[in-house]
Amino acid sequence: MTINLNRRNLLGLGLGAGSAALLAACGDSGPSDKVTGGGQNAAPAATDYTGPNVSLAFWNGFTGGDGPFMKKLVDQFNTEHPNIKVTMNVYQWADYYQKVPAAVSTGNGPDLGIMHVDHVATNAARGVVLPLDDLAKTLNLTEADFSPPVWKAGVYHDKRYSIPLDVHPLGLFYNKSVLEKAGLDPAKPPMTADDYMKALDTLKSKGIQGHWATPFPFTGEMQFTALLWQFGGQLFDEQGTKPMFAEQAGVQALTWLTDLVKNGYSPKNVAQDADVVALRNGKNAFNWNGIWTINTLKEDKALQWGAAPLPQIGTQKAAWAGSHQFVQFKQKQADANKLTAGKVFINWISQHSIEWAKGGQVPARKEIRDSAEFQALTEQAAIGTQIDYLQFLPSTPGISDAMATVDTAVNEAILLRKEPGKALADAAAKAGQILEANRKKYGN
Amino acid sequence: MALATASAAATRQDAPPGGRIRRVGIATPYLFLLPYLLLFGTFVLAPAAYGLWVSLHDWDYLLPGKPFVGLANYHALLDSGSAVYEEFWQSMRATGIFTVASVPLLVVVPLGLALLLNRSFPGRTFFRAVYFAPYVLGVAVIGVLWRFLLDPNLGAVNGLLRAVGLPSDTPWITGLPWAWISLVAVTVWWTIGFNAVIYLAGLQDIPRELYEAARIDGGGKWAEFRHITLPGLRPVLVFVVINTMLASSNMFGQSLLITQGAPGNETRTAIMYIAEKGLREYNMGTAAAMSYVLTLALLLASVIIFRLFRDRDAV
Amino acid sequence: MTRTRGIAWYTILIGLSLIFIAPLVWMLITSFKTTGEATRVPPTLLPQEPSTHAYDTLFAADSQTPVLRWFLNSLLAAGAQAVLILVVASMAAYALARLEFRGKKLLFGLIIGTLFVPVFTLIIPNFLIVDRFGWLDTLWALIVPGAAGAFGVFFLRQFFLGLPRELEEAAQLEGANAWQIFSKVILPLSKPALATLAVISFLANWNDFIWPVYVLFSPEHFTLPPGLSILQGAYTIDYPVIMGGAALASVPALILFLITQRYVIEGVSRSGLKG
Repeated sequence: MTINLNRRNLLGLGLGAGSAALLAACGDSGPSDKVTGGGQNAAPAATDYTGPNVSLAFWNGFTGGDGPFMKKLVDQFNTEHPNIKVTMNVYQWADYYQKVPAAVSTGNGPDLGIMHVDHVATNAARGVVLPLDDLAKTLNLTEADFSPPVWKAGVYHDKRYSIPLDVHPLGLFYNKSVLEKAGLDPAKPPMTADDYMKALDTLKSKGIQGHWATPFPFTGEMQFTALLWQFGGQLFDEQGTKPMFAEQAGVQALTWLTDLVKNGYSPKNVAQDADVVALRNGKNAFNWNGIWTINTLKEDKALQWGAAPLPQIGTQKAAWAGSHQFVQFKQKQADANKLTAGKVFINWISQHSIEWAKGGQVPARKEIRDSAEFQALTEQAAIGTQIDYLQFLPSTPGISDAMATVDTAVNEAILLRKEPGKALADAAAKAGQILEANRKKYGN
Repeated sequence: MALATASAAATRQDAPPGGRIRRVGIATPYLFLLPYLLLFGTFVLAPAAYGLWVSLHDWDYLLPGKPFVGLANYHALLDSGSAVYEEFWQSMRATGIFTVASVPLLVVVPLGLALLLNRSFPGRTFFRAVYFAPYVLGVAVIGVLWRFLLDPNLGAVNGLLRAVGLPSDTPWITGLPWAWISLVAVTVWWTIGFNAVIYLAGLQDIPRELYEAARIDGGGKWAEFRHITLPGLRPVLVFVVINTMLASSNMFGQSLLITQGAPGNETRTAIMYIAEKGLREYNMGTAAAMSYVLTLALLLASVIIFRLFRDRDAV
Repeated sequence: MTRTRGIAWYTILIGLSLIFIAPLVWMLITSFKTTGEATRVPPTLLPQEPSTHAYDTLFAADSQTPVLRWFLNSLLAAGAQAVLILVVASMAAYALARLEFRGKKLLFGLIIGTLFVPVFTLIIPNFLIVDRFGWLDTLWALIVPGAAGAFGVFFLRQFFLGLPRELEEAAQLEGANAWQIFSKVILPLSKPALATLAVISFLANWNDFIWPVYVLFSPEHFTLPPGLSILQGAYTIDYPVIMGGAALASVPALILFLITQRYVIEGVSRSGLKG
């Protein structure tokens, strides 16, 4: 943790004039001019690239197990396109989101990248990413090719800034051996509220706590939002100006999770990742977790497990999902060749995203989701059936700042420090202030 | 009274130079300082001044408008109706709790350890390395390791307690005051070697003749410690106290990784909150203002500590 | 020491050691487990299915993850920064501890004052400055800015204050100038402090994570902390890989520590006051 030669003379305490100039120059180093090109009425982008050789920098957060699948696709793309050379750099997501804007602001940004859908609006508002309407137009991409919520998620201020690569929904993961031991059918996990509670009761009578309720965002917040939507609620209003998660549906959702602990279906004080670790150790039967859990569970060769859509606890079907989306970054000097080549790359990867699905994702493209090849990926396909009722956060800049208050509410309720209603009301009051400040900051 | 003389000698070392002949040119001190000041001016002073300037603006390095807001960012921290007031002061309280709980332990325990390891016995270098070993690991590893060991339901710590028949449902990282106990204990375990090696180096500075003189006088171990070791270590002790206080008040990695600020936001420290505001939400003006309020609080705290030391010379 | 006292002494030392060593041993054992076995409850003491999965991942021949290269970069950055700190901080600390000049109190106050400013405040301004120098994505960014911190100056000044003055005065009477006193008297007397500062500075840089993540872009320029982090899963924790990486990173640091302790212990044999 150290943050800490200039040839200019800085004698004693007086800063040289040079440094003052240097700092003044730092004052507005952000690319702040309004973006032109690539907007709504843009000319269609080319679908193939015939220009001079270009090299493109492609940054993303596909570390660990995800990386190799993307790397393979990039290598294949490079082989098929001799005049485009894409180099892929990988960073942890958290670092990536701090690093990329800083790099773009100094003109060191990459050409292409991936962003989670809830980061797109923020980066569009801050001028980090470029509009991609022309690409959508050329490729004749429409809602119908993807699914409405996934497709709409990349639009901010009536401009499209991102093209969906995949969706990664929450799913139900279950330990077949544990279900069997409790006398439940390991081939048919419970799919309704009643069946789910019955199963939990049965498990409890056998001394097994069947759904470990985690107070941490990964994946407590995701479970809460899924339930909120199932009970017919919303996190925010359409424009992302008003928090709505503290209304009745939200209280119902959080109460349901909290009651798991109160009624002994879950232990108290579940730590980060303890829910899935318990599932792997046969101490937990059900875990609502992201689709990435497929890869984690596959590592346990002896483990008997399955994946399914989330059970419907509320009045309608719904599930939380994230989505990786392609973006193009703003450069100090726009290079038409690079922009075109980048769009060719995005289109090509999107068309080949079945390979990506094998890494534990649901492809965003409908034609690929419907393919036999994807249906053969049993677990992915099971979780992918939820595609039409997945929900995303509104495309509002800085929306994740407001979501931090939800994290706190979920934490306090599940740790039994506050009643769900009170925890959510407190969070909503804070979230309202944050949304208002962001509206002022990013403009309407 | 050789002891008294020895003690006086030990203290005299840091007496200010009085009336010695000095043949130092007028520029000499500045030439010694120059290389460091070049670096300091460029990478510390200028950025710190810049940070002050940022704190007077609604500032995001990527947005075109960076409106000047005067003291509004500071005002918001003192206005109980603002969006940041409650969370900021809660994070300051968390930092306060951690600092007050950890600093005395981190100052005293390593001193005892250093005195033990300063003796001459077979294997002392090995033992020094053992106690220092945790410190060579980065906070990322420490965090992951202890979060796993302290997991209330599945962790090895409660597992061991269960095995020996003690209560085994302590919420080490999710309840209070346990989360603080864990964070302080992990930090002591992790960084005890850091201050211990500083003390060990400091102990080498104390002339051994003083101890020999004291031994002839037959003053006993405690008297030696009081009248020779402590005065001889005084400048180093000042460093250790200040530096430990600053290190503890800058703590965020342990909280981020072990407790994630939970329960609620109880263990979210000021630095963690400042980083969230500045680097994740891009409200850099607010974050800079918070940084300087924290700076001010730490300066006040250290003035109070100095008063306790009552030592004008070593500081 | 009598025999029984000797036995008691070592019992205490070894007992204490266990607390410090056990988690580290557990770290090492975990690095030889499979990902599944690493999260067994209750944990297995020794790997049931010993696996080199972690080390295979770490040393997979891949242009994206040149672990050896990261290792060398870390060594170079941490080593160079430690040397730079020793040079500039010892000179500045000598002036502040032993020389008289106008504005000394004010300057020292200012230097110490900056220690109180949280490092996060300096990240973005420093990033912009390093960019001006054209140092982004180079090791310069990891070596130079971090050497500007006040820690080393404060540390050495406190040690210099405690040095006995007699030797300096003797050298002065023999006509030595300030530079000669500094290099021939002060520095040799301060070996323990310099060795300690070297190891502390080295480690701070060796384990630094936040700053490198900002200023380095290319995998071939990474140091170990940001490098090892990209071997971990994006959404799941691979304990063996983390622990294996930590084991790799901690070995050189411990070796360096053992080397520097020689200078600290050597200091005991020197005599302070020539009575």
